[in-house]
Amino acid sequence: MMNAAFPQIRLVPIRMLKPETAERLLNMLAGITGIRRMMVQGPGLPKVVPYGPARGSPNPHSDRKAIHIADAEVALRVQVGMVILEVEDASVIEEIRSLCDDFFVEFPYLLQEGKFMKTAPTLVDYAKYGPDADTSLVGLTDPRIGESPVIIRTEQ
Amino acid sequence: MAYKPQYGPGTSVVAENRRKQMNPGQKLEKVRSVTDEDIVLILGHRAPGSAYPTAHPPLAEQQEPNCPMRKIVKPTEGAKAGDRVRYIQFADSMFNAPSQPYQRTYTECYRFRGIDPGTLSGRQIVECRERDLEKYAKELIETEMFDPALVGIRGATVHGHSLRLAEDGMMFDMLQRNVLGEDGIVKYVKNQIGEPLDRAVAVGKPMDEKWLKEHTTIYHSLVGTAYRDDTEYIEYVQRIHSLRTKYGFMPKEE
Repeated sequence: MMNAAFPQIRLVPIRMLKPETAERLLNMLAGITGIRRMMVQGPGLPKVVPYGPARGSPNPHSDRKAIHIADAEVALRVQVGMVILEVEDASVIEEIRSLCDDFFVEFPYLLQEGKFMKTAPTLVDYAKYGPDADTSLVGLTDPRIGESPVIIRTEQ
Repeated sequence: MAYKPQYGPGTSVVAENRRKQMNPGQKLEKVRSVTDEDIVLILGHRAPGSAYPTAHPPLAEQQEPNCPMRKIVKPTEGAKAGDRVRYIQFADSMFNAPSQPYQRTYTECYRFRGIDPGTLSGRQIVECRERDLEKYAKELIETEMFDPALVGIRGATVHGHSLRLAEDGMMFDMLQRNVLGEDGIVKYVKNQIGEPLDRAVAVGKPMDEKWLKEHTTIYHSLVGTAYRDDTEYIEYVQRIHSLRTKYGFMPKEE
């Protein structure tokens, strides 16, 4: 069982980020020790038009591309609107805050503390993944997509 | 005494803009020019230059019943020719877009003939005969009711009006129908339902923040004029709300 006491925060820039900016931000965050889990959230950019008269036709979008975070490649499927983080303790939050204050210069951002991602598997997670599911990965990805989270290894 | 519509209450610039757009006696400022062919491309209902498909024979060739209403109401050009009914749909960002769904519907009802508007929270569709539609669409796009960045011409997948803007100031569009080029000009690369166009259609540069704030018809306490600052508007809305709530009890004004 995950420790529910780990603090969680949410970074909400006042503008939605381009992939290049998101890449810079996430790389900056990846350099911080003490981040346990990280999730990127925003409105989806599907590969094909999901509904309407043009349903099923390809949907080229310049913001749907792969970005590199530390040693990992992440295929963005959303326009980055928020970054949700789970950290080891409150001192990490302050470090993130001071870095973000320098990062967001063209437009403001919000750093909110609260509960933003799952800390324990729900009944549905149990039904979906069984009793032996890795609880640290539960709730990190869209279960309908079937892709697992990307693991970023940082130099210790 | 002849009835003179007031169009709406309010003392703020937003209220003034609302009245201006609705009042057919006021000419809307032309901000950009888009060719007829470009409009046809964005709408995506027919190929540019092709004949208008028809839903029925022209009225002149039809036997019209002897109806007094038909003698009073003159048909529009599209109705006269028997055009199909087609649509244009707009999504307006809440961040100071120059128009918004209810406003659009009121405006169109005051200004245009032979239309069927549909109003929703984040989008507004207007249906009419194809020939008329192209004329109306041109007016809606070329005048101050449109902003290339904050207004989207979206037939389907309209999501984005209430989202934060992108870094470059564009309203979110899942299908990325319009893109902001390096030259600062917004171009439509897909038609309103998301089918790629053969050539990009330029609709001009996004308006600056100051212009948007002066021309918007949306109250927004963070980026524009706050609703609560327009006391006359609030008073009016509260009066309507109060009266309609009391309606069942036979309201009498004190």
